[in-house]
Amino acid sequence: MTAPSPTLPLRRTLRICGALLLALAAAFAFCVWRAPEDATQGVIQKIFYLHVPLAFSAYLGFFLTALFGALFLWRGDERSDRLAAAAAEVGVLFCSLVLITGPIWAKGTWGRFWSWDARLTLTLLLWLIYVGYLLLRSFAEGGDRAARFAAVYGIAGIAVIPLNYFAIELSRGSLHPENLERGSLGAGMGLPFALGVVTSLVCFLFLLCLRIQVTALRRAEEQRLYASDA
Amino acid sequence: MSTFVAVLWKDLLCEWRNHERLSAMVVFSLLLVVIFHFALPESSAPASRTYAPGLLWAAYVFAALLGHNRAFAAELENDALSGLALAPVDRGWIFLGKAAANFLVLAAVQFLTAAAFALAFELELAAHALPFAGIAALGALGLSCLGTLFAAVAVRTRFRDVLLPLLLFPLAIPLLAAAVHATAAILAGRGVPPASLHLLLVVDAVYAIVSFLSFEYVLDE
Repeated sequence: MTAPSPTLPLRRTLRICGALLLALAAAFAFCVWRAPEDATQGVIQKIFYLHVPLAFSAYLGFFLTALFGALFLWRGDERSDRLAAAAAEVGVLFCSLVLITGPIWAKGTWGRFWSWDARLTLTLLLWLIYVGYLLLRSFAEGGDRAARFAAVYGIAGIAVIPLNYFAIELSRGSLHPENLERGSLGAGMGLPFALGVVTSLVCFLFLLCLRIQVTALRRAEEQRLYASDA
Repeated sequence: MSTFVAVLWKDLLCEWRNHERLSAMVVFSLLLVVIFHFALPESSAPASRTYAPGLLWAAYVFAALLGHNRAFAAELENDALSGLALAPVDRGWIFLGKAAANFLVLAAVQFLTAAAFALAFELELAAHALPFAGIAALGALGLSCLGTLFAAVAVRTRFRDVLLPLLLFPLAIPLLAAAVHATAAILAGRGVPPASLHLLLVVDAVYAIVSFLSFEYVLDE
Protein backbone atom coordinates (compact mmCIF):
# COMPACT_ATOMS: atom_id res chain seq x y z
CA MET A 1 0.00 0.00 0.00
CA THR A 2 1.40 3.35 -0.88
CA ALA A 3 1.35 6.05 1.73
CA PRO A 4 -0.54 9.23 0.82
CA SER A 5 1.85 11.73 -0.64
CA PRO A 6 2.56 14.50 1.84
CA THR A 7 1.14 17.91 1.13
CA LEU A 8 3.98 20.06 -0.04
CA PRO A 9 4.39 23.50 1.46
CA LEU A 10 4.82 26.56 -0.75
CA ARG A 11 3.37 24.77 -3.76
CA ARG A 12 1.55 27.82 -4.98
CA THR A 13 4.41 30.21 -4.26
CA LEU A 14 6.72 28.01 -6.27
CA ARG A 15 4.36 27.89 -9.22
CA ILE A 16 3.88 31.67 -9.24
CA CYS A 17 7.62 32.30 -8.77
CA GLY A 18 8.48 29.86 -11.54
CA ALA A 19 6.14 31.48 -14.04
CA LEU A 20 7.29 34.96 -13.05
CA LEU A 21 10.91 33.88 -13.31
CA LEU A 22 10.46 32.59 -16.87
CA ALA A 23 8.85 35.83 -18.00
CA LEU A 24 11.40 37.99 -16.20
CA ALA A 25 14.37 36.02 -17.51
CA ALA A 26 13.14 36.43 -21.08
CA ALA A 27 12.56 40.17 -20.62
CA PHE A 28 15.92 40.53 -18.91
CA ALA A 29 17.79 38.74 -21.70
CA PHE A 30 16.06 40.91 -24.29
CA CYS A 31 16.84 44.14 -22.40
CA VAL A 32 20.48 43.23 -21.92
CA TRP A 33 20.77 42.41 -25.61
CA ARG A 34 19.21 45.78 -26.55
CA ALA A 35 21.15 47.79 -23.96
CA PRO A 36 23.78 50.16 -25.36
CA GLU A 37 27.38 49.07 -25.26
CA ASP A 38 29.61 50.85 -22.79
CA ALA A 39 31.79 53.49 -24.48
CA THR A 40 35.03 52.42 -22.82
CA GLN A 41 34.54 48.82 -21.70
CA GLY A 42 32.64 47.50 -24.73
CA VAL A 43 30.40 44.45 -24.67
CA ILE A 44 32.08 42.91 -21.60
CA GLN A 45 30.39 45.56 -19.45
CA LYS A 46 27.05 43.76 -20.00
CA ILE A 47 28.08 41.14 -17.49
CA PHE A 48 27.43 43.90 -14.96
CA TYR A 49 23.66 43.34 -15.37
CA LEU A 50 24.17 39.81 -14.06
CA HIS A 51 27.08 40.29 -11.67
CA VAL A 52 25.71 43.05 -9.44
CA PRO A 53 22.13 41.71 -9.08
CA LEU A 54 23.57 38.28 -8.20
CA ALA A 55 25.71 39.94 -5.55
CA PHE A 56 22.63 41.66 -4.06
CA SER A 57 20.83 38.32 -3.78
CA ALA A 58 23.89 36.61 -2.31
CA TYR A 59 24.19 39.28 0.41
CA LEU A 60 20.46 38.96 1.05
CA GLY A 61 20.92 35.21 1.50
CA PHE A 62 23.68 35.65 4.07
CA PHE A 63 21.72 38.30 5.90
CA LEU A 64 18.66 36.01 6.03
CA THR A 65 20.85 33.16 7.29
CA ALA A 66 21.99 35.25 10.25
CA LEU A 67 18.50 36.66 10.85
CA PHE A 68 16.76 33.27 10.89
CA GLY A 69 19.67 31.80 12.88
CA ALA A 70 19.11 34.43 15.55
CA LEU A 71 15.35 33.76 15.44
CA PHE A 72 16.05 30.06 15.89
CA LEU A 73 18.24 30.68 18.93
CA TRP A 74 15.61 32.97 20.34
CA ARG A 75 12.47 30.90 19.74
CA GLY A 76 13.88 27.45 19.03
CA ASP A 77 11.46 26.78 16.16
CA GLU A 78 12.47 24.38 13.43
CA ARG A 79 11.05 26.54 10.66
CA SER A 80 13.55 29.35 11.25
CA ASP A 81 16.38 26.83 11.12
CA ARG A 82 15.12 25.38 7.84
CA LEU A 83 14.88 28.88 6.38
CA ALA A 84 18.38 29.76 7.58
CA ALA A 85 19.85 26.60 6.04
CA ALA A 86 18.05 27.18 2.73
CA ALA A 87 19.08 30.85 2.61
CA ALA A 88 22.73 29.90 3.24
CA GLU A 89 22.74 27.31 0.48
CA VAL A 90 21.14 29.60 -2.09
CA GLY A 91 23.35 32.47 -0.89
CA VAL A 92 26.50 30.41 -1.42
CA LEU A 93 25.28 29.43 -4.90
CA PHE A 94 24.69 33.08 -5.85
CA CYS A 95 27.97 34.15 -4.29
CA SER A 96 29.80 31.48 -6.28
CA LEU A 97 28.25 32.90 -9.45
CA VAL A 98 29.36 36.38 -8.39
CA LEU A 99 32.90 35.09 -7.91
CA ILE A 100 32.79 33.51 -11.37
CA THR A 101 31.26 36.45 -13.28
CA GLY A 102 33.46 38.98 -11.44
CA PRO A 103 36.83 37.73 -12.70
CA ILE A 104 35.47 37.42 -16.26
CA TRP A 105 34.48 41.08 -16.16
CA ALA A 106 37.77 41.98 -14.43
CA LYS A 107 39.85 40.30 -17.11
CA GLY A 108 38.01 42.31 -19.75
CA THR A 109 38.39 45.69 -18.04
CA TRP A 110 41.30 45.59 -15.57
CA GLY A 111 43.32 43.09 -17.62
CA ARG A 112 43.61 40.51 -14.85
CA PHE A 113 41.26 37.98 -13.29
CA TRP A 114 41.78 38.88 -9.67
CA SER A 115 42.92 41.78 -7.57
CA TRP A 116 42.83 42.08 -3.79
CA ASP A 117 40.41 44.95 -4.03
CA ALA A 118 38.13 45.68 -1.05
CA ARG A 119 34.86 44.37 -2.45
CA LEU A 120 36.42 41.31 -4.08
CA THR A 121 38.20 40.32 -0.90
CA LEU A 122 35.10 40.98 1.19
CA THR A 123 32.95 38.82 -1.08
CA LEU A 124 35.54 36.04 -1.14
CA LEU A 125 35.73 36.06 2.66
CA LEU A 126 31.94 35.99 2.95
CA TRP A 127 31.83 33.06 0.55
CA LEU A 128 34.44 31.21 2.60
CA ILE A 129 32.55 31.88 5.82
CA TYR A 130 29.28 30.55 4.47
CA VAL A 131 30.92 27.56 2.79
CA GLY A 132 32.29 26.86 6.28
CA TYR A 133 28.73 27.27 7.56
CA LEU A 134 27.46 24.60 5.15
CA LEU A 135 30.35 22.28 6.08
CA LEU A 136 29.55 22.79 9.75
CA ARG A 137 25.93 21.85 9.10
CA SER A 138 26.94 18.66 7.33
CA PHE A 139 29.60 17.67 9.89
CA ALA A 140 27.52 18.35 12.99
CA GLU A 141 25.45 15.41 14.13
CA GLY A 142 21.99 15.71 15.57
CA GLY A 143 19.43 18.11 14.14
CA ASP A 144 19.07 20.46 17.07
CA ARG A 145 22.78 20.64 17.80
CA ALA A 146 23.68 21.26 14.16
CA ALA A 147 21.07 24.00 14.04
CA ARG A 148 22.42 25.74 17.14
CA PHE A 149 26.04 25.52 16.01
CA ALA A 150 25.15 26.79 12.56
CA ALA A 151 23.08 29.67 13.96
CA VAL A 152 26.00 30.85 16.10
CA TYR A 153 28.39 30.67 13.15
CA GLY A 154 25.94 32.40 10.81
CA ILE A 155 25.58 35.32 13.22
CA ALA A 156 29.36 35.57 13.71
CA GLY A 157 29.72 35.57 9.91
CA ILE A 158 27.55 38.67 9.60
CA ALA A 159 29.19 40.40 12.58
CA VAL A 160 32.57 40.07 10.90
CA ILE A 161 31.59 41.93 7.69
CA PRO A 162 32.30 45.49 8.93
CA LEU A 163 35.47 44.29 10.68
CA ASN A 164 36.70 42.72 7.46
CA TYR A 165 35.87 45.91 5.62
CA PHE A 166 38.05 47.99 7.94
CA ALA A 167 40.80 45.35 7.86
CA ILE A 168 40.95 45.56 4.06
CA GLU A 169 40.76 49.35 4.11
CA LEU A 170 43.78 49.34 6.41
CA SER A 171 46.05 48.38 3.58
CA ARG A 172 44.32 48.82 0.22
CA GLY A 173 42.06 51.06 -1.80
CA SER A 174 39.30 50.14 -4.25
CA LEU A 175 39.32 49.50 -7.98
CA HIS A 176 35.57 49.29 -8.28
CA PRO A 177 33.71 51.86 -10.31
CA GLU A 178 32.03 54.30 -7.97
CA ASN A 179 29.31 55.42 -10.37
CA LEU A 180 26.72 53.19 -8.72
CA GLU A 181 26.96 55.15 -5.49
CA ARG A 182 26.35 58.33 -7.42
CA GLY A 183 23.45 56.75 -9.25
CA SER A 184 24.67 57.75 -12.70
CA LEU A 185 24.23 54.74 -14.94
CA GLY A 186 24.48 55.59 -18.62
CA ALA A 187 21.31 56.19 -20.65
CA GLY A 188 19.50 52.91 -21.42
CA MET A 189 21.37 50.99 -18.73
CA GLY A 190 18.94 51.55 -15.86
CA LEU A 191 16.14 49.30 -17.15
CA PRO A 192 18.21 46.14 -17.76
CA PHE A 193 19.91 46.66 -14.40
CA ALA A 194 16.61 47.05 -12.55
CA LEU A 195 15.20 44.01 -14.38
CA GLY A 196 18.34 42.10 -13.43
CA VAL A 197 17.85 42.92 -9.76
CA VAL A 198 14.19 41.85 -9.83
CA THR A 199 14.95 38.66 -11.79
CA SER A 200 17.75 37.73 -9.45
CA LEU A 201 15.56 38.30 -6.39
CA VAL A 202 12.71 36.23 -7.84
CA CYS A 203 15.20 33.49 -8.75
CA PHE A 204 16.52 33.63 -5.18
CA LEU A 205 13.00 33.30 -3.78
CA PHE A 206 12.21 30.43 -6.15
CA LEU A 207 15.30 28.43 -5.17
CA LEU A 208 14.71 29.22 -1.49
CA CYS A 209 11.17 27.82 -1.66
CA LEU A 210 12.40 24.81 -3.61
CA ARG A 211 15.06 24.10 -0.99
CA ILE A 212 12.55 24.39 1.84
CA GLN A 213 10.24 22.02 -0.02
CA VAL A 214 13.04 19.47 -0.44
CA THR A 215 13.74 19.62 3.31
CA ALA A 216 10.05 19.16 4.06
CA LEU A 217 9.86 16.16 1.69
CA ARG A 218 12.93 14.61 3.28
CA ARG A 219 11.47 15.07 6.73
CA ALA A 220 8.15 13.56 5.68
CA GLU A 221 9.97 10.59 4.17
CA GLU A 222 12.01 10.07 7.32
CA GLN A 223 8.86 10.15 9.41
CA ARG A 224 7.17 7.67 7.08
CA LEU A 225 10.12 5.27 7.33
CA TYR A 226 10.20 5.72 11.08
CA ALA A 227 6.46 4.98 11.29
CA SER A 228 6.75 1.86 9.13
CA ASP A 229 9.63 0.61 11.32
CA ALA A 230 7.62 1.10 14.47
CA MET B 1 33.16 34.69 39.07
CA SER B 2 34.25 31.69 41.16
CA THR B 3 33.32 29.51 38.16
CA PHE B 4 35.72 31.52 36.04
CA VAL B 5 38.57 31.07 38.55
CA ALA B 6 37.79 27.36 39.02
CA VAL B 7 37.83 26.57 35.29
CA LEU B 8 40.91 28.69 34.68
CA TRP B 9 42.75 27.09 37.60
CA LYS B 10 41.81 23.57 36.53
CA ASP B 11 42.98 24.15 32.95
CA LEU B 12 46.26 25.72 34.01
CA LEU B 13 46.90 22.99 36.55
CA CYS B 14 46.32 20.29 33.90
CA GLU B 15 48.63 22.17 31.58
CA TRP B 16 51.26 22.51 34.30
CA ARG B 17 51.14 18.82 35.13
CA ASN B 18 51.49 17.33 31.66
CA HIS B 19 52.81 20.19 29.45
CA GLU B 20 51.38 18.32 26.44
CA ARG B 21 49.66 21.18 24.72
CA LEU B 22 52.31 23.78 25.45
CA SER B 23 55.22 21.64 24.31
CA ALA B 24 53.40 20.61 21.12
CA MET B 25 52.63 24.25 20.30
CA VAL B 26 56.19 25.43 20.98
CA VAL B 27 57.82 22.68 18.92
CA PHE B 28 55.31 23.32 16.15
CA SER B 29 56.14 27.06 16.07
CA LEU B 30 59.86 26.34 15.99
CA LEU B 31 59.27 24.01 13.06
CA LEU B 32 57.38 26.80 11.34
CA VAL B 33 60.36 29.12 11.78
CA VAL B 34 62.54 26.52 10.04
CA ILE B 35 59.96 26.02 7.28
CA PHE B 36 59.65 29.76 6.70
CA HIS B 37 63.42 29.99 6.47
CA PHE B 38 63.46 27.46 3.64
CA ALA B 39 60.28 28.80 2.04
CA LEU B 40 61.71 32.29 1.58
CA PRO B 41 64.16 32.87 -1.19
CA GLU B 42 67.61 33.70 0.12
CA SER B 43 67.43 37.33 0.97
CA SER B 44 69.11 39.94 3.06
CA ALA B 45 67.96 40.95 6.50
CA PRO B 46 66.01 44.06 5.38
CA ALA B 47 64.03 42.00 2.87
CA SER B 48 63.16 39.24 5.32
CA ARG B 49 62.13 41.95 7.77
CA THR B 50 59.29 42.94 5.44
CA TYR B 51 57.91 39.37 5.45
CA ALA B 52 58.57 38.69 9.12
CA PRO B 53 55.43 40.35 10.63
CA GLY B 54 53.11 38.36 8.39
CA LEU B 55 54.99 35.10 8.92
CA LEU B 56 55.12 35.65 12.66
CA TRP B 57 51.36 36.09 12.83
CA ALA B 58 50.79 33.13 10.53
CA ALA B 59 52.84 31.08 13.01
CA TYR B 60 50.73 32.44 15.89
CA VAL B 61 47.48 31.54 14.16
CA PHE B 62 48.68 28.01 13.34
CA ALA B 63 49.96 27.47 16.89
CA ALA B 64 46.70 28.80 18.32
CA LEU B 65 44.80 26.40 16.09
CA LEU B 66 46.86 23.47 17.30
CA GLY B 67 46.31 24.44 20.92
CA HIS B 68 42.60 25.16 20.60
CA ASN B 69 42.00 21.84 18.88
CA ARG B 70 43.08 20.21 22.14
CA ALA B 71 41.28 22.67 24.41
CA PHE B 72 38.10 20.61 24.62
CA ALA B 73 39.52 17.25 23.59
CA ALA B 74 40.57 16.54 27.18
CA GLU B 75 37.01 17.32 28.34
CA LEU B 76 35.65 14.49 26.18
CA GLU B 77 37.36 11.90 28.41
CA ASN B 78 35.03 10.55 31.07
CA ASP B 79 32.36 12.80 29.57
CA ALA B 80 33.71 15.78 31.48
CA LEU B 81 32.19 18.13 28.90
CA SER B 82 28.70 16.99 29.87
CA GLY B 83 29.66 17.60 33.49
CA LEU B 84 30.64 21.15 32.62
CA ALA B 85 27.42 21.67 30.69
CA LEU B 86 25.31 20.31 33.55
CA ALA B 87 27.01 22.48 36.19
CA PRO B 88 24.43 24.89 37.63
CA VAL B 89 26.41 27.98 36.70
CA ASP B 90 26.33 30.58 33.96
CA ARG B 91 28.00 29.04 30.92
CA GLY B 92 29.47 32.40 29.99
CA TRP B 93 31.82 32.13 32.97
CA ILE B 94 32.87 28.63 31.91
CA PHE B 95 33.67 30.11 28.53
CA LEU B 96 35.71 32.94 30.06
CA GLY B 97 37.68 30.47 32.19
CA LYS B 98 38.51 28.27 29.21
CA ALA B 99 39.33 31.28 27.01
CA ALA B 100 41.59 32.79 29.70
CA ALA B 101 43.51 29.52 30.04
CA ASN B 102 43.88 29.31 26.26
CA PHE B 103 45.00 32.93 26.20
CA LEU B 104 47.74 32.34 28.78
CA VAL B 105 49.03 29.22 27.00
CA LEU B 106 49.00 31.06 23.67
CA ALA B 107 50.79 34.06 25.19
CA ALA B 108 53.58 31.81 26.45
CA VAL B 109 53.92 30.25 23.00
CA GLN B 110 53.89 33.71 21.41
CA PHE B 111 56.75 34.84 23.62
CA LEU B 112 58.95 31.87 22.72
CA THR B 113 58.06 32.05 19.02
CA ALA B 114 58.85 35.77 18.92
CA ALA B 115 62.26 35.07 20.44
CA ALA B 116 62.94 32.39 17.81
CA PHE B 117 61.79 34.75 15.03
CA ALA B 118 63.97 37.57 16.32
CA LEU B 119 67.00 35.30 16.20
CA ALA B 120 66.22 33.67 12.86
CA PHE B 121 65.17 36.80 10.96
CA GLU B 122 67.39 39.33 12.75
CA LEU B 123 64.43 41.32 14.06
CA GLU B 124 64.94 44.05 16.62
CA LEU B 125 62.02 42.92 18.75
CA ALA B 126 63.76 43.55 22.07
CA ALA B 127 63.99 47.26 21.30
CA HIS B 128 60.21 47.44 20.76
CA ALA B 129 59.26 44.80 23.31
CA LEU B 130 56.52 46.74 25.06
CA PRO B 131 54.35 47.88 22.13
CA PHE B 132 54.85 44.53 20.43
CA ALA B 133 53.81 42.64 23.56
CA GLY B 134 50.67 44.79 23.73
CA ILE B 135 49.71 44.04 20.11
CA ALA B 136 50.53 40.34 20.55
CA ALA B 137 48.33 40.20 23.65
CA LEU B 138 45.42 41.93 21.86
CA GLY B 139 45.76 39.49 18.97
CA ALA B 140 45.93 36.52 21.30
CA LEU B 141 42.84 37.75 23.13
CA GLY B 142 40.71 37.73 19.98
CA LEU B 143 42.15 34.43 18.80
CA SER B 144 41.46 32.81 22.18
CA CYS B 145 37.84 34.02 22.26
CA LEU B 146 37.08 32.82 18.73
CA GLY B 147 39.16 29.66 19.10
CA THR B 148 37.54 28.63 22.37
CA LEU B 149 34.02 29.16 21.04
CA PHE B 150 34.57 27.24 17.81
CA ALA B 151 36.72 24.55 19.44
CA ALA B 152 33.65 23.82 21.57
CA VAL B 153 31.62 23.62 18.35
CA ALA B 154 34.13 21.54 16.39
CA VAL B 155 34.75 19.03 19.18
CA ARG B 156 31.13 17.89 18.93
CA THR B 157 31.26 17.25 15.17
CA ARG B 158 32.78 14.67 12.86
CA PHE B 159 36.23 15.57 11.47
CA ARG B 160 36.70 17.96 14.36
CA ASP B 161 40.37 18.70 13.66
CA VAL B 162 39.55 19.53 10.06
CA LEU B 163 36.57 21.71 10.83
CA LEU B 164 38.17 24.12 13.32
CA PRO B 165 40.50 25.87 10.83
CA LEU B 166 37.66 26.10 8.29
CA LEU B 167 35.54 27.88 10.88
CA LEU B 168 38.27 29.91 12.53
CA PHE B 169 40.40 31.24 9.67
CA PRO B 170 37.80 33.27 7.75
CA LEU B 171 36.73 34.98 10.97
CA ALA B 172 40.31 35.60 12.11
CA ILE B 173 41.17 37.70 9.03
CA PRO B 174 40.41 41.17 10.51
CA LEU B 175 42.40 40.29 13.60
CA LEU B 176 45.30 39.05 11.54
CA ALA B 177 45.28 42.04 9.18
CA ALA B 178 45.28 44.56 12.02
CA ALA B 179 47.95 42.72 14.02
CA VAL B 180 50.27 42.32 11.02
CA HIS B 181 49.81 45.97 10.10
CA ALA B 182 50.65 47.08 13.65
CA THR B 183 53.61 44.71 13.99
CA ALA B 184 55.11 45.90 10.71
CA ALA B 185 54.81 49.53 11.84
CA ILE B 186 56.38 48.75 15.23
CA LEU B 187 59.30 46.91 13.65
CA ALA B 188 59.85 49.81 11.25
CA GLY B 189 60.14 52.09 14.28
CA ARG B 190 56.95 54.00 13.49
CA GLY B 191 55.16 53.09 16.72
CA VAL B 192 51.67 51.62 16.97
CA PRO B 193 49.39 53.01 14.23
CA PRO B 194 46.11 54.18 15.82
CA ALA B 195 44.00 52.71 12.98
CA SER B 196 45.17 49.15 13.54
CA LEU B 197 45.09 49.52 17.33
CA HIS B 198 41.48 50.68 17.22
CA LEU B 199 40.55 47.87 14.84
CA LEU B 200 42.19 45.31 17.13
CA LEU B 201 40.32 46.70 20.14
CA VAL B 202 36.98 46.67 18.31
CA VAL B 203 37.55 43.15 16.91
CA ASP B 204 38.47 41.87 20.38
CA ALA B 205 35.40 43.47 21.91
CA VAL B 206 33.06 42.09 19.21
CA TYR B 207 34.51 38.58 19.42
CA ALA B 208 34.52 38.56 23.22
CA ILE B 209 30.87 39.67 23.42
CA VAL B 210 29.64 37.35 20.64
CA SER B 211 31.51 34.35 22.09
CA PHE B 212 30.44 35.08 25.67
CA LEU B 213 26.78 35.34 24.68
CA SER B 214 26.68 32.41 22.27
CA PHE B 215 28.62 29.89 24.35
CA GLU B 216 25.29 29.22 26.08
CA TYR B 217 24.03 27.63 22.84
CA VAL B 218 27.23 25.80 22.00
CA LEU B 219 27.80 23.85 25.19
CA ASP B 220 25.20 21.11 25.59
CA GLU B 221 24.80 17.94 27.56
